[in-house]
Amino acid sequence: MFRNYFKIAWRNLWNNKLFSLINVISLAIGLSASFVIGMMVYYDFTFDKFHTDGDRIYRVTTQFNDPEGDYFSSGIPFPLVDAVKNEVSGLETAAFFHQFTSVNVKPTGTKDLFKQQDFVVFTDQGYFDLFDYYWLAGSAQKTLSQPNEVVLTEARAKLYFPNLSPSQVMGKTLNYNDSIPAVVTGVVANFAERSDLVFQEFLSLDTASQTNIHHQISGNNWYGVYNSSQLWIKIEKGTLLNNFQAQLDDIAGKHQMEEDLKFGSSREFYSQPLNNLHFNSELGIYDPDKAVADKDVLTMLGLVAMFLLLLGCANFINLNTAQASKRAKEIGIRKTLGSSKGQLIFQFLGETFLLTLIAGAVSIILSMWLIRIFEDFIADGIDISLLMNPVILLSIGTLLVIVTIAAGFYPGIVLSKFNPVRVLKGKHTEAGGKNQLRKFLTVFQFTIAFVFIISTFLVGKQIGFLINKDMGFKTESVAFIETPHYVSSLADQELLSQKLANLSQLKKVSLGGQSPASFDQSATAFVSNYDGIERETSVRLLFGDTEYLDLYEIPLLAGRKPLNDTIKEVVINTKALEKMGFDDPNEAVNQTVTSGGVPYLITGVMADFNQGSLRKEIEPMAFVGDMWRSFSSAFQVIHFNISTENYEDLTTTLADVESMYKEVYPNEPIDLKFMDETILTFYKKEQSMSKLLNWAMGLSVLISCLGLLGLVIYTTERRVKEIGIRKVLGASIVQINTLLCKDFVILIFIAFVIAIPIAYWALDNWLQDFANRTELSWWIFAGSGIAMILLALIIMSIRTIATAMADPVKSLRTE
Amino acid sequence: MIKISNLEKYYKTEEVQTIALNKLSFEIKEGEFAAIMGPSGCGKSTLLNILGLLDDPDGGSYLFNGIEVAGYNERKRAQLRKHNIGFVFQSFNLIDELSVFENVELPLIYTGVKTAERKERVHQVLEKMGIMHRRKHFPQQLSGGQQQRVAVARAVVNNPKLILADEPTGNLDSSNGNEVMDLLTELNEAGTTIIMVTHSEHDAKFSHRIIRMLDGQKVTENVLV
Repeated sequence: MFRNYFKIAWRNLWNNKLFSLINVISLAIGLSASFVIGMMVYYDFTFDKFHTDGDRIYRVTTQFNDPEGDYFSSGIPFPLVDAVKNEVSGLETAAFFHQFTSVNVKPTGTKDLFKQQDFVVFTDQGYFDLFDYYWLAGSAQKTLSQPNEVVLTEARAKLYFPNLSPSQVMGKTLNYNDSIPAVVTGVVANFAERSDLVFQEFLSLDTASQTNIHHQISGNNWYGVYNSSQLWIKIEKGTLLNNFQAQLDDIAGKHQMEEDLKFGSSREFYSQPLNNLHFNSELGIYDPDKAVADKDVLTMLGLVAMFLLLLGCANFINLNTAQASKRAKEIGIRKTLGSSKGQLIFQFLGETFLLTLIAGAVSIILSMWLIRIFEDFIADGIDISLLMNPVILLSIGTLLVIVTIAAGFYPGIVLSKFNPVRVLKGKHTEAGGKNQLRKFLTVFQFTIAFVFIISTFLVGKQIGFLINKDMGFKTESVAFIETPHYVSSLADQELLSQKLANLSQLKKVSLGGQSPASFDQSATAFVSNYDGIERETSVRLLFGDTEYLDLYEIPLLAGRKPLNDTIKEVVINTKALEKMGFDDPNEAVNQTVTSGGVPYLITGVMADFNQGSLRKEIEPMAFVGDMWRSFSSAFQVIHFNISTENYEDLTTTLADVESMYKEVYPNEPIDLKFMDETILTFYKKEQSMSKLLNWAMGLSVLISCLGLLGLVIYTTERRVKEIGIRKVLGASIVQINTLLCKDFVILIFIAFVIAIPIAYWALDNWLQDFANRTELSWWIFAGSGIAMILLALIIMSIRTIATAMADPVKSLRTE
Repeated sequence: MIKISNLEKYYKTEEVQTIALNKLSFEIKEGEFAAIMGPSGCGKSTLLNILGLLDDPDGGSYLFNGIEVAGYNERKRAQLRKHNIGFVFQSFNLIDELSVFENVELPLIYTGVKTAERKERVHQVLEKMGIMHRRKHFPQQLSGGQQQRVAVARAVVNNPKLILADEPTGNLDSSNGNEVMDLLTELNEAGTTIIMVTHSEHDAKFSHRIIRMLDGQKVTENVLV
């Protein structure tokens, strides 16, 4: 029986090539989107699933509660490590490590120097007690107990000692930052499964005292919280997390900073479960080049895939119920010969499954292409080979069955209901209900298409608005070089800055911190005392020399710039002015604020400008010199303004800049960025979303229009005799075309009317996330509606005009 | 084999009720070949559909082999139909997407006959009907006479006790028509009961008995043998 079903299914698909093609394309688009998004979900949800007792492992993190909003750090103050280890009960293990970033490593006895190595940590045996590593050489016991010891992963061992086996690497020495030697005392295998614990080199904790970050991991400073200081714990079996949290709360309570409490701030510690590590963007992951998985994005993508799939199913249902009359005779005969309704439904489901299977095969090819298109959203580890994973394969199988039922069940019911007596007499009238469903599905499809179209235009408009809006400082022909400050000194930076200042092509050169709008930010709290009220204001810091404000053309509203690079003088922006309680810029000038007890004189007030993505509000900001120079210089970036006369000859100018850079830093690659390009990177997320929407719009319009084309073909075939009679009676082509298109245009218009409030609501919500937003203009809605209706008319006319122009004698004779 | 008493069937539209069968009664014995004649709209096809369990009567009784089947639901009717009744239609009603072999095989599939046996029985009946060489053709590649032979082959492949033929020669020329009538006569002689609806006096003469109908009622009955 199956063979018979299969045969007739195949012949049906083959005989109705156009409809089969429409169905396969429509379903394949939805399926491939589902496959890719399914792979992404699977990929992101299978990080760090392999650790023994992973459900009992947590990272201890810090939360700062502040009246102006809470903020988070994945790090902890160093003394918490001992407090947790010694004072807390119910823990099986606690492991501390501190990240040591951008380290130069030189294996002794070789000429190789490995620059800026990442994923190096200081830790101890506790780390290996907590996380399961397979030891290729050495052992977890008694490891990292002495200073100047290092454990390498197999990958790093291979990098440093390409020709040695793990056991041969044991005892070799590595030199860190030209000054710290470490002997290899172990080699562990890299994790075979996906993990966010990306560390490759484990230096013994005691080695840290020989580095310039020793103060971060020693002493009893409860107030310094470094993101690099990481504490992981495993609670005892049967112990409640609440129990641990209560003890953490106790510790936090004992070590609050009185100054903070005075201004309504406080600090707490929280445990982040291991399985949350991959998803928490506030706390982040360890690999700076990888994005934290975003459940919102996954949900959004999932919805897009679901809608595309529903559109495909709607096409299938529409075309198959519309075509039902073609199959009426077969059904009548089968019923006469004794087929039951169930058998018929089963047969149609089988046919649907066959078609879905073909669509599935097509979508695997499409998936490869989709992975490339959506690379902005897709983690590097995802490729088509993931489709061979048993879990994914099973999910695909399940999805195909679900789609088969969703698309095939209703047509199956409709078809199996035919009365054999009537259909064999050629009287297969259509039930009114089916037509209603078809209308509903068409409206549904176009509503989705309209929502996507309107969203695409609006998101595009918003991005254009963000990119083109004046940032409040000069962005054109300004570039900056991030100096390799980790290997150089302030003197090098100053030297390069002076050399560049001599270049005639450059109008202005300034040494400072980050550019006015940047992802990297420093902040401090200024305490002001104006009108007898003591206020603490968190301010972003903008470091720069005396040229900085002029270079970026940031206007002063009152007062003057600081006199030199190190003087304790600040220029605040209007936002800070308001927070500090001043009513007028002139009131603030010559007032004093303190930071960490050190007084700073406000010498001027600058205009507000945007400090990053326009999604965010402008924050209180203070322009300062190199205020922490004695501790650590912030002057790490050299900014310059290329004079416009020389802009045509940009290549030469940049080559000159680079050659000067090489004179100062002969061994370091140059990291030069243009301000206007940097601003574009603020909107990467929005641009990715816009790209996704473009595709979702294109595909949803494609599927809907394919379905529409199918229905139009069906309708014109069915009404060919009517059209013939009308033509004989004198109807014009335009009249006939109008007659054939009218019903569909009405449906599309209804879809448009339904889509308007949905799109308005969704987009209004989306825009609320932006501090600066474009208008939800009426013309976007009207334009989308007109464009879609025009497109639909063109598609329909391809068929209807041909029908209207056909010789009526022919159609009447064939009847 | 078949006994109907006071059989009634109405067709209702919004405004009018048409009586298709008006308290019709007759009996057909096993092995009989009966022809039903009458003008268009007299209820012949309605009767045949009810006899073939494709349609429900609105009143009266229908005994099939002594069992009352008038109230059977669709599932039960399908069961009884597939094991006992073969159909031959004026317009052949072959499935265009299936080959000659597959069309004839279909009833055997629905009665659950195994593949090997199906093949053998289909081949037997195709040979008997003289269309073995056409088994791989599709309906639209055959002449009308050949198509009707395929339809007859399909009707008999399950060895039904009863064949219902609805104007079996209506779409055929006289020589093809005669061939089909000969086939039906042969089947009847082999023991199959046949009820045939026809407009053709010529075809009716092949039967044992002619039941003439008008306005849903039996008007005369001529016994020919």
